[in-house]
Amino acid sequence: MNRPRGTDGSLLASLPWTLAALLVSFAPHVPYIPIWISAAFAGCAAWRYIIERRRGVLPPAWIRGSLALACFLSVHFTYGSISGVGPGSALLAVMAALKLLETRKRRDQFVLLFLSIFLVMSSLLREQFLWSLPYMISSILVIMTAWLHMSASKTQSARQSVVTGSRLLLYAAPLAIAMWVFFPRISTPFWAMPIDTSRATTGLSDSMSPGDISELSLSNEVAFRVSFDGAIPAPRDRYWRGLVMTRFNGRTWKGRGASISGTARDQIEVVGQPITYDITLEPTQQQWVLALDMPVSWSMSGTFMGPEQQLARSTPIDQRISYTATSYSDYRVETRLSDTHRIWNTNLPIGSNPRTTELAQTMRSEAGSDRDFVDAVLQKLNEEEFYYTLEPPPLGSNPVDRFLFETRRGFCEHYASAFSVMMRSVGIPTRIVLGYHGGELNPMGGHLIVRQSDAHAWTEIWIEGLGWHRIDPTAAVAPERIEMSASDAALEGIGASWGFSAPSRLLHRITLTFDALDAKWNEWILGYGPENQNSFMQWLGMNEPSWRKMMLTLVGLVIGIIMIISLLLMMRYRPPEKDEAAVLYQRFVRKSGLKPCTGETARVFALRVQESGRISAPAVKTVTDAYLDARYGNGGDAAFDRLRQAVGAMQ
Amino acid sequence: MRVEKWARKRQGIDPDTTTLGPGRVYILPTGIGIIFGLMAFAMLLGSMNYNNNLSFILTFVLVSLGLVSMHQCQRNLVGLELTFAGADPVFAGQAIRFRIAVTNQSKSARYGIRLYTNEAQSSMHDLLPGESKVFILPVTTDKRGRISLQRFGVRTLFPFELFRSWAWLHMNINGLVYPTPADDAPQPPPTMIAHGHRQHDARGEEDFAGLRKYLPGDSPRHVAWKAYARSGQLLSKQFAGADTSSQWFDFNEIADRNVEKRLSILTRWIVEADRTLEDYGLRMPGKEFKPAHGDQHRRECLEALALFKSGDN
Repeated sequence: MNRPRGTDGSLLASLPWTLAALLVSFAPHVPYIPIWISAAFAGCAAWRYIIERRRGVLPPAWIRGSLALACFLSVHFTYGSISGVGPGSALLAVMAALKLLETRKRRDQFVLLFLSIFLVMSSLLREQFLWSLPYMISSILVIMTAWLHMSASKTQSARQSVVTGSRLLLYAAPLAIAMWVFFPRISTPFWAMPIDTSRATTGLSDSMSPGDISELSLSNEVAFRVSFDGAIPAPRDRYWRGLVMTRFNGRTWKGRGASISGTARDQIEVVGQPITYDITLEPTQQQWVLALDMPVSWSMSGTFMGPEQQLARSTPIDQRISYTATSYSDYRVETRLSDTHRIWNTNLPIGSNPRTTELAQTMRSEAGSDRDFVDAVLQKLNEEEFYYTLEPPPLGSNPVDRFLFETRRGFCEHYASAFSVMMRSVGIPTRIVLGYHGGELNPMGGHLIVRQSDAHAWTEIWIEGLGWHRIDPTAAVAPERIEMSASDAALEGIGASWGFSAPSRLLHRITLTFDALDAKWNEWILGYGPENQNSFMQWLGMNEPSWRKMMLTLVGLVIGIIMIISLLLMMRYRPPEKDEAAVLYQRFVRKSGLKPCTGETARVFALRVQESGRISAPAVKTVTDAYLDARYGNGGDAAFDRLRQAVGAMQ
Repeated sequence: MRVEKWARKRQGIDPDTTTLGPGRVYILPTGIGIIFGLMAFAMLLGSMNYNNNLSFILTFVLVSLGLVSMHQCQRNLVGLELTFAGADPVFAGQAIRFRIAVTNQSKSARYGIRLYTNEAQSSMHDLLPGESKVFILPVTTDKRGRISLQRFGVRTLFPFELFRSWAWLHMNINGLVYPTPADDAPQPPPTMIAHGHRQHDARGEEDFAGLRKYLPGDSPRHVAWKAYARSGQLLSKQFAGADTSSQWFDFNEIADRNVEKRLSILTRWIVEADRTLEDYGLRMPGKEFKPAHGDQHRRECLEALALFKSGDN
């Protein structure tokens, strides 16, 4: 049947709904897929509708075939592959658009509706915002209405379809919630997940080269959120440890990648009070797991501590994760430094940044001890003309020399790098920590929001007896950067120098409210994984939750709910009640032993009963009068009571 | 089919008015339902793999909608009242149209109801609360006599066509099939003027009553030649006094020896005579219908032909 045939307009009633379902499910993809696909999609939808309106002819098979081939190749060319969420949904959209052009029967419309369900599904894989759930429910409603409209008889109005669709969705809601809560979650995926490459990854970079073009993220995007069990640490203590970099080639600092260390955790000696908190980390596509400096325990499986006390997971974090961690703000780490570590952490490439080395050595000889030297360097950074800026001039070769002696403008990376080079020049083991600093308190949700713009670099120097000790050279230059978080600074009106415009206070409040909702959403809905489910099951009173127990509960609940739904449906389709007066009168009829003939009125029947003599005449009269009054007259409740009494007295 | 036989045995013969109980409404997924199920399963696997809670919700909402629609589909039929509302007799070869009245004795509308037999189906109707509609089930016929509909079904795909729920009914449904009017029927026997009326012949011819189409066998004296000259159409004059001109169709006087052929020829004669509003009488072995005309007379005669058994004479 490849021959093009005219359309007969038979789909005219249901086609608009099918098109609406397709467009609604396609809309969330628009920002992510190439614009030509969206254009083709809208074009095909409009084209198809016009064809149906004018009883036109569908495009012939060779046009559809070559269009299909062209689209397929274009998708392949655009994405370089056809697997993954990005190209997958692009292909789905293209398929739906092309399928429209050969839709002439109801069966084809079913295919379109199935495609729109898949489009909804793939949009959920791509993004899960707060509004994604209501949008998804609305999409289902539109799809189901289209479905109903397609299979209903011609007399069905659109309103009826919407009402029926909503009613069925309402019935389905408790079932779906029960399934969602109790369906056992597993932590290990079945197959490798294709990462959506259409979305840029944000997070900490694995290396830093102060002097190259500024790559500091200024985005306001949330990096992670933290809620504390107890008091929230002061802003100056909010150092979120990410990765540690120890290798320096004169220009670029690099870490060693995520590696596991059996001893790193044991090298931490803690003093003081533990701080326990929950972190919800946005996906980074990296392995680094952020924690408050210095973490000692964490709840996520597959996460280990590397040799420099950095936390990493064995697999990249490709979706939002939540974990609980405990840290101590007062600690000693690696008080006994091995010779290898000492050599690694004091290594500088020979001949690089000679002026810095020379300066450091001079200052060290003037200072009495390592500690005095450190103080002197920090004092120098603080007192001399150093500026904190996010748009530093590029530095040439020997970037540290050029920064310290010429430009004197930079941000945290520049200061951390310069400070480290000075320390290493005099043999003090130094390393650079990349992470985040600060975080804004959301008073609505009671949690801290740490944004990408809070990314920070600081240093750790090793001091005999103290172990690794945190020094933040940026604090010496721009103390306000450390005392306040970036967004607070923005609010105080000094945000201009931080590179983004200060939002108005009202807007900021709205943003915070939304953020609080978003945090709860992430925590309760999106983050409902194996761990959360387990603790929720325990909260519900399930001992040692297992998938078997959850499955049994689920099956029980589903059966129970279905029985209730079945009952509701039965009520819905029950015959209209017989009125009670008729029921009472029926008892009188039974008692009389006679059968009313068709068309016989109550009065005529009463005469017959009286003649039969089985019931006394006054009783027959009372019952009949009361019945007629209650059922047809204006007797109301009083007549009804009389009827009840009379029938009762008869017995 | 074995299942149908089982259902027949289980349910017995249904009264002429039958209310569908829940025990006799069967339900199975349709092809679309199976595809829908497979899709939901694939979506479940995908959701588990991505640990994506929103797609879990989507999957479970769809699964729940499927389950709800199963119950809705069955409830759409349960409680429906079906009544056999007769069928007009047809000639063998035509389709007899059995009428079934379907009543919705409930407080909610029922959608997309359809009746069907093994060979045909009725059109689809919605039934509002308390509404009753007549569904037509056409059944092809090939021979005269009583035709009975052993079994018919009522089904619905509402709401999403994911499930088909249906019930079989075995009512005592039958209709009458007349013999096929023979195409090659010989001329009917000539109009016989009743003997007792001959003396009124002359007077009768004076009471002109009207014109009717000329039929072979009409006397040339009765042909309205003037009208023929005007319109080119052969018409015969009818006279009030000619009331008595009536035909007798006699089973035994037909040359053909084949019983069915004879019945077929008689049927043709009756149909033609009825159309020209002429009186006719039918003489069957053991039965006689006096000359008359009208719907009842026609029905009685044709019924006699339809139910004629060779053993009757």
